[in-house]
Amino acid sequence: MNRRPTCEDAAPREADGDPLVQIGLPTGTRSTGFEATRRDVLSLMGFSLGALGLGAGCRAPVQHAVPLPAASIEMVPGVPNLYATTCGACSAACGLVVKQRDGRPIKIEGNDASPLTGGGTCAAGQASVLSLYDDGRLRGPMWLGNAVSWAEVDRHIRSVLDARGRDARDVVLLSQTITSPSTRALIDELRAVFPRFRHVVYDPLSLAALREANRRAHGAAVVPHFLFDRARVVVGLDADFLGTWLAPVEHARQWAQRRTAGTDRGFHVQVESGVSVTGSNADLRLAVAPSQIGAVAVALLAAVTRRMGGDDPGSFGAAGLTQAAPHAVAIEQTAEALVRNRGEALVVCGSNDLPTQIVVAKLNAVLGSVDKTVDLAHPSLQRQGDDAALPALIDDMNRGAVHALMVWGANPVYDHPDGAAFRAALNKVALTISFADRRDETSAHVHAVCPDHHFLEAWGDAEPVSGHFSLRQPLIAPLHETRAAEESLLAWAGRTTDHRSYVRAFWKRALYKPAAGAAAPDAFDDFWERTLERGAIDLPRPPVATHAFAADLEESVREIVARANRAGGDHDGYELALQETVGARDGRHANNPWLLELPDPITRLTWGNVASIAPVTATALGVSTGDVVTLTTETGKLELPAFIQPGQHRHTISVAVGYGRWAAGKAGDGVGGNAFPLARVANGLRTTSARVTVTRTGRRARLSPAQTHFSMEGRDIVQTLALAPSEHEHEHEKLPDLWRERLHGAHAWGMSIDLDACTGCSACVVACQSENNIPVVGAEQVRKNRIMHWLRIDRYVEGDGEDAQSLHQPMMCQHCQHAPCETVCPVLATTTSSEGINQQVYNRCIGTRYCANNCPYKVRRFNWHNYTANDDFPYNMTSPLGRLVLNPDVTVRSRGVMEKCNLCVQRIQLGKNQALLQRRPMADGDVATACQQSCPTGAIVFGDLADAGSRVSKLLAGRRAYRVLDDLGTRPNVGYLKRLTREEES
Amino acid sequence: MRTRGIVFGVVLLGAGGGLIARGATRIGVHQGYAPEQPIAFPHKVHAGDNQIACLYCHSGARTSRHAGIPSASVCMNCHSLIEKQTTEIQRLKEAVQQRRPIVWTKVHNLPDFVYFNHSQHVVSGVACQRCHGAVEQMDRIEQASPLTMGWCLGCHRAEAHVPTSTFTRVAANVRNRPTPFAGEDCTSCHY
Amino acid sequence: MSAGTIEPTTGAPETLPATRWIEGTPSLHRITTDISRPMEARPGRGWWICFAISSLAVLNLLGMVTYLFAKGIGIWGLNNAVGWAFDITNFVFWIGIGHAGTLISAILLLFRQKWRTSINRSAEAMTIFAVMCAGLFPLIHMGRPWDAFFIFPYFPNQRGPLWVNFRSPLVWDVFAISTYFTISLVFWYLGMIPDLATLRDRATTGIKKLVFRVLSLGWNGSQRTWSRYEIVSLVLAALATPLVLSVHSIVSTDFATSLVPGWHTTIFPPYFVAGAIYSGFGMVLTLLIITRQTMHLERYITTNHLEAMAKVILLTGSLVGYAYATEFFNAWYSGNVHERFHFINRATGPYAWCFYLMVLCNVLTPQIFWWKRARRNIPVLFVASILINVGMWFERFVIIVVGLHRNFLPSAWGMFYPTVFDVGILVGVFGLFFTLFLLFIRALPMIAMWEVKGVSHG
Repeated sequence: MNRRPTCEDAAPREADGDPLVQIGLPTGTRSTGFEATRRDVLSLMGFSLGALGLGAGCRAPVQHAVPLPAASIEMVPGVPNLYATTCGACSAACGLVVKQRDGRPIKIEGNDASPLTGGGTCAAGQASVLSLYDDGRLRGPMWLGNAVSWAEVDRHIRSVLDARGRDARDVVLLSQTITSPSTRALIDELRAVFPRFRHVVYDPLSLAALREANRRAHGAAVVPHFLFDRARVVVGLDADFLGTWLAPVEHARQWAQRRTAGTDRGFHVQVESGVSVTGSNADLRLAVAPSQIGAVAVALLAAVTRRMGGDDPGSFGAAGLTQAAPHAVAIEQTAEALVRNRGEALVVCGSNDLPTQIVVAKLNAVLGSVDKTVDLAHPSLQRQGDDAALPALIDDMNRGAVHALMVWGANPVYDHPDGAAFRAALNKVALTISFADRRDETSAHVHAVCPDHHFLEAWGDAEPVSGHFSLRQPLIAPLHETRAAEESLLAWAGRTTDHRSYVRAFWKRALYKPAAGAAAPDAFDDFWERTLERGAIDLPRPPVATHAFAADLEESVREIVARANRAGGDHDGYELALQETVGARDGRHANNPWLLELPDPITRLTWGNVASIAPVTATALGVSTGDVVTLTTETGKLELPAFIQPGQHRHTISVAVGYGRWAAGKAGDGVGGNAFPLARVANGLRTTSARVTVTRTGRRARLSPAQTHFSMEGRDIVQTLALAPSEHEHEHEKLPDLWRERLHGAHAWGMSIDLDACTGCSACVVACQSENNIPVVGAEQVRKNRIMHWLRIDRYVEGDGEDAQSLHQPMMCQHCQHAPCETVCPVLATTTSSEGINQQVYNRCIGTRYCANNCPYKVRRFNWHNYTANDDFPYNMTSPLGRLVLNPDVTVRSRGVMEKCNLCVQRIQLGKNQALLQRRPMADGDVATACQQSCPTGAIVFGDLADAGSRVSKLLAGRRAYRVLDDLGTRPNVGYLKRLTREEES
Repeated sequence: MRTRGIVFGVVLLGAGGGLIARGATRIGVHQGYAPEQPIAFPHKVHAGDNQIACLYCHSGARTSRHAGIPSASVCMNCHSLIEKQTTEIQRLKEAVQQRRPIVWTKVHNLPDFVYFNHSQHVVSGVACQRCHGAVEQMDRIEQASPLTMGWCLGCHRAEAHVPTSTFTRVAANVRNRPTPFAGEDCTSCHY
Repeated sequence: MSAGTIEPTTGAPETLPATRWIEGTPSLHRITTDISRPMEARPGRGWWICFAISSLAVLNLLGMVTYLFAKGIGIWGLNNAVGWAFDITNFVFWIGIGHAGTLISAILLLFRQKWRTSINRSAEAMTIFAVMCAGLFPLIHMGRPWDAFFIFPYFPNQRGPLWVNFRSPLVWDVFAISTYFTISLVFWYLGMIPDLATLRDRATTGIKKLVFRVLSLGWNGSQRTWSRYEIVSLVLAALATPLVLSVHSIVSTDFATSLVPGWHTTIFPPYFVAGAIYSGFGMVLTLLIITRQTMHLERYITTNHLEAMAKVILLTGSLVGYAYATEFFNAWYSGNVHERFHFINRATGPYAWCFYLMVLCNVLTPQIFWWKRARRNIPVLFVASILINVGMWFERFVIIVVGLHRNFLPSAWGMFYPTVFDVGILVGVFGLFFTLFLLFIRALPMIAMWEVKGVSHG
């Protein structure tokens, strides 16, 4: 029996999540005591049905309907509302449109109106709605570990803040980069209130070197705004800009705009040590040890300047460079491409190493990228952290120079190499406050925890890129006794304004007036409403003043060359490279089961991180996948299972950060190992690499992979095509068909997936999980190959050297018109609908699993256990609070039932119904599936194949279209566009 | 003598089996279910005698999958003007004053794995009475239709001019391939 | 002595002695008493030990199935790649076992094979018990037996009406097996009526007498009764014969009609029928060797019987071996990349050991029966029969699991590792089977007295 949450369940008492269903006598009198959720009742019915032969009757549960006491114009039960807001999952602050159903946000979508992201999202963003209903969140403020009222905690804090010490000693606000203009203004106001107020900013993954390089080179310490869509040639140096780096959604969108531009398709070179999402999509990928990234940059600069004239770094020592030699050919080729496309070239570098960044700045300057593809005048406002600040702060704390410390949106005890020192130093501060939403590694050791709202409960704004503003509005009243951090700060500063009016006032004062000028000074209310509705807006900002490149290139080059030669000297040593992954990111979402169970697009592993080792190195070390190895650097030690990774640089061990939390919550604690302490802060900059020694422990770990075999076995599964059409390119011949052509009704729904645009970022996987109530099954079940995702992204690898080629392929139900599953189901639980959808009827399924056996794509998922309301699976579907995220339009499947992708049929039905209500025929684009909506690169296109004019029809008629396992004659309605390949830039 | 016994046994068996089968097919069918309500609201008076349109109170039926039960505030639109007082109206007003929701007992229950959208049917011109019966004559609301899948399909097929009897339909299919229509898809209601 | 005269040789030509299906010349009364002994005497220690063990296994089965229904089939080792393993393996295995009985009683009856007389009864009983064991699995492998009734096409139903999918082999499995079970049961019962009458007359205690009187349907052994009886037997035999072939052909379509490499093969029906008869005789052999020793029926279940069965095993075993070879040939000859990979994987993949075990047991073992001395050697026969049972179980396991665990998309490959519940239920079902059989040999005449008397020489 299946449960579909209905508006009755979610009516006024939704906050405590207790469904208003009770079993009792049909007369409506409530039975005494026995309170049961609907699924209990229905399962009871199931049993009594089974026992019918014994004459056992069965009694329907009495259901209640509870209308709102007073009717609401906005909220009609059963009708979803969409509100624009701003994502808070990371500092990129993408524009969102959140689907709110019966008063609760249930699905996150990208905001098509956003000038930056244009409707895309990332996996973490998609999953952030689940964090709202996280049981681990604090229910209210705490003082010295006890739950107290806001009044009390404020009294304590005020008493300390107003104490005499504040004049002598610092009041410090420690946070990660804050992109909210109103909050930045608020912080400035605090300086007036507290004489010795300081705002210390740090980022777990820092770009301080990039900003410093730009200060020296162009006189502006900024993170540039990169414009990948304007670049025909992109060279990425150790920057996973499509997966995790800076603003991945925006970058991916820009990158794809260029890549899908037909013959004008750009050329993308990636230089990195471990395999990243970005590297796996590059046209040319060079595996290079972290210590050699700078060397490659120098070699590239030398090759470019040789072609273009100008001061050749060869003259000051690049000639002595030996380490980049293996890649000489590729570097020359890249330089050639860069020079030919100067002005449309872009070199991005994620390395936090100053000399390297200076060389890269020089490269962009030489290639004329500045102000074309590298926008310094309107820079990105992310990653403003100062790596030297936190260690300095720790010293101040130890010296007793800090009176009060407020930690906001940061978790240094976990994500900083000096975390232990920081934790110790906390005791030296008179008052420590945290705004964390849970008792995490840091907030567990502070005096006062003043939990901030989840961003879906909060007002706010953001300016991720200078001049791009977006607004945040609450989708639901705060679930718990939380308070916006800004409001707390205002309260302690003696102000009584609430956060909403503060933001509103700031926008009127600082943004609207300058923009509107005298034109319409009092039309602000319309402006505010419009902006709230739209979500984002561009407003003029004064450009940052910069000058032409003027940095000491020679010094940087000499340093790089010297270091590179030193490091490259010993070939038996190994280097560690820390990397972010699309699921874990910097670890702030560690308690989100959707992200923990999201298979990493590269390793395809869930629930934990590993030490990625190149095959040759693994042989040398005598380890195989699953062997636990100890990684020892001068700052730390970590035991992790080894994972053999083709494409990995042979002297580099890559480890994902963001795992190994110990106070994240029920789901996230103890998953993987924390790699942050392995790298240190070296001369004022946080490094992400270090020399490392690898030793075998002899123990084995049990990984939880979603895929165990990466070779295509020579089968035509992911097909590629030369960019330039060749004459001996055989036409796709029509295969003979033993079956009669299937007739379809008004529509024939189908989908096209562009393998050239798909980066594997996995936003669609989480979007699908969120839209379709797909359960989380946990590490143990994933290990047993029972992951429930309807949409998976297969990864195939060709070759096992450093030049191994990765191919990503989203795989879900192909909606065969001659479906193998359909013919074998004994009870017609799966059939093909009149509109070409292979429909799965949960309540008809008796669970023979014959369909799954006969599915050549292996996309069917069986409910091996009851994953809802089952304490063996303590994830969101088990907790009354977590269940609020469920989509009421999709049945929650029970055990013993087969399920799979149904092309978001609930969205199709909604689209059809809306067309009906508006008395018009359906138009192409009326319906977007969850995966399509979330895709930042627009790789997925859904539509009506019966309409020859629809986008999907056109795409699937093109030369790149093909069907997977076509020769089986399954006639899928889901088609793929071949990935384009280019050997070299021609 | 013996043969008569056998015949009797057979008849008895057949009859018993038939009854059990019939009973089995009625499991979970609550036609005629008419529970007491917290406030004895007479549809007869409102929809019947006073001719109030269904959609005035059940406005959701026009736009939503749920017809919705009107908030007490909607009731007060009229009852704040009408002097007539009964104990039932008194209860209503108390609820409004205390801003406490009225917990009505749902009469028409579909299984949770069935998706039914009111607006789709209302806009397509299906009269409320077609499924809910002569509500305007009911004092206490009662489930008039069986609300079984077969009952739904009967109407869907009739609308699509497909024979509703199994055997005629089978016969038709033998003659020529029927063009499929969405109304008969599983996913019209199950997903 | 005068030349040119030839003396005619006199004397009758040598004649071969007819194979005797009973040792010695026991009187008819002796036959009755011998065969009734197990039912009338108190069972020996051997019987009690066997019964204790097997009924323990049954208890274990009950416990595990209950837990299965409570928790779901997640407690098995199945997964997204391998949706069937021990469950359907056991199902096909037991259906196969269930083939010997009806073959012996029906087909051999039509062919007037005398040697069937002393083994057909127990073989039929075995059939019925085996089919009962087999029928268990389709039910429990869904994990939700209370929804199993969906698989029967019944009318009226509230759903529109909604029928079953007549294209699905699983539906036909239900029809085939239930039919086969019914016919076998009737045939078995019918064959027992004269003996039941004998027992009725021998019965001492009132309750026993009553039971046997009811069961023997007032049999009076008159000439008229006998002649009608013979006719009915022949008619039923004629009805049952095609079923022997149809049941396993239909079971084989569970695989043959799918598109899984290694399943999608047209030779499956004959191949499965041969395999079924093969495994069926293997099991009959095992059971009879045990019972004739423990119940001291060597006189009636002679080595001649065993040898005859050994010959059938040799034939069907060779057929099975031929089928294996054909599969490999077709895979190579088809040139289909998936087919080819499947059979390479079958012989070299992670489950290769199962494959070689299966070849060893099913193809090589029976070859020993080319030698008469092996056919008549009880220990050899017994070991061989055990090996055949093991081999035939693994044949089904190899077909099912190896077919599923690595097919079209390498990204979806997986492995199957059995859990304690997989193994426990396998053991438990064997327990169920033997428990039923042990009860049978205590309660009913395990040799058809009246037929044995027909071939006796006393």
